[in-house]
Amino acid sequence: MATNGRSPSPIVLLEGVSKRYNGHAAVSALSLEIREGERVAVLGPSGSGKTTLLHLIAGIEQPSEGRVRLAGQPLSSMSAGTKLAQLVGMMHQQLDLVPHLSVKHNVQAGRLGRWSLWKSLVSLVSLREREMVEQALERVGIPEKLHERTSHLSGGEQQRVAMARLLAQQSRVVLADEPVASLDPARAEDLMQLLTSIVAESNKTLIASVHSTHLTRTYFSRAVGLRKGTLEFDLPVEHLTDEALNRLYNFAPSHP
Amino acid sequence: MRPSTASTTSPQATRRRSSDFFRGRGFLTLLLVAALLWSLTSLSWGSSPVHPGGLGSIGQFFQAAIQPELSAGFLGLALSSAWKTIAYAVAGICLAVAMGLPLGILASGVLARRTRVRVPGVAGFRFLLGAMRAVHELIWAWFFVAAVGLSPAAAIFALAIPYAGILGRIYADFLNDVPAEPLRALRASGASETKVLLYGRLPMALPDMLSYTFYRFECAIRSAAIMGFVGVGGLGMQIQLSLSDLYFNEVWTLLYVLVGLVLIVDLWSSWVRRYLTS
Repeated sequence: MATNGRSPSPIVLLEGVSKRYNGHAAVSALSLEIREGERVAVLGPSGSGKTTLLHLIAGIEQPSEGRVRLAGQPLSSMSAGTKLAQLVGMMHQQLDLVPHLSVKHNVQAGRLGRWSLWKSLVSLVSLREREMVEQALERVGIPEKLHERTSHLSGGEQQRVAMARLLAQQSRVVLADEPVASLDPARAEDLMQLLTSIVAESNKTLIASVHSTHLTRTYFSRAVGLRKGTLEFDLPVEHLTDEALNRLYNFAPSHP
Repeated sequence: MRPSTASTTSPQATRRRSSDFFRGRGFLTLLLVAALLWSLTSLSWGSSPVHPGGLGSIGQFFQAAIQPELSAGFLGLALSSAWKTIAYAVAGICLAVAMGLPLGILASGVLARRTRVRVPGVAGFRFLLGAMRAVHELIWAWFFVAAVGLSPAAAIFALAIPYAGILGRIYADFLNDVPAEPLRALRASGASETKVLLYGRLPMALPDMLSYTFYRFECAIRSAAIMGFVGVGGLGMQIQLSLSDLYFNEVWTLLYVLVGLVLIVDLWSSWVRRYLTS
């Protein structure tokens, strides 16, 4: 595990976190410590609490019990908005862009936490910080789509726009909920490569839920297995065995 | 919903079915039919539904449909009053949008994060919008004519107030019904609720809002024509004048112009809608 001396406290720390919906526990008594620069793959069958875990770290959901700390500060003490946005950014499975806006405005939306209301309003008419938007689109490989309507883009291109928005947001932690689940294998590989290289360039921390063990082994440094909301394993990817995966997904009868 | 595995003959199922009747469609249909029958009996029909001398007039009226008044002088009058009606409708709907949009945003409650502020705010603005559209534009027109006299402003305000009530209500619903995921992503990038409105709700609701506004614009043309009956001019006033003189041919010319107007607006609005959704 990458422990660099620069940050004494872990960037993400979960202390006995539980989340219940109507009595049903999506995540229960989960403790996890993630250091800056780690690339963590969250694995587990559907309904194992992967999305809930990411939402708890993003501050989208509040824990029923326990505490989440980001860079040493309790998440509950941070009001939603600028400060939280500079710490964590999140991308979902395609659904979270505004389809009616042009690509440039969706990218620029990553800056909304830092901008005044007036600047945000003016930018809808005449784009502010155009250079930043162009650079972000350049980095994700679709500079020519600047003025295009977002709904006209393919699924893979939309995921690139979501990445460009994360670049504009410049958060220290990037959360990705099945970022490549709806793409064909070749595109999924390309996008995962792009996402991890963007994260590595600026020593960001990546926490992503993924389904493919191949992607996990190739692009991540650590694997966290969830099953029914509890931690099944937490390993460096080199130590991730097929047996552990089979047990997690219940492919084979579990060993005593 | 889970498929029911209980056998249909169980007493529980029977009880459920009988209570379903009162909650379900069957009961509602029965209630509506009863309401219709009751409403028919509570009208006073007199001895016959049609006035004794009325049949002759109806015949004359429909005969005139195939011989509308087409003299150049009258056509000029019809077109100039149509122009006046359009002007009222455009001005009225613009003012209605200008009032309905801010009221709709306030009535949707999307700007208030705390329940303590949102619930009374939404209730208050929804009530205001309801009151505005509860009163018909013709009643508003009588009111304004009584207050400020026969002026174009009276007609425009009379149109705009109930239309703002309708538009505001529908805008509020559209703003509430946009998909939640993009809004969540905007909030995650640090956007306040006002910025979420600007960058998420409004862009996503805009096609529906525009399309509905165009539909209402068609209705506004009809309403603007009716405004003529209170004396502010336009197609409605000419129809009333010709009717009271029993010049049915002229009435039909004016009606054809009105139908033409509505058709043109319909074509235009469906073109705009197709452009918006493509």
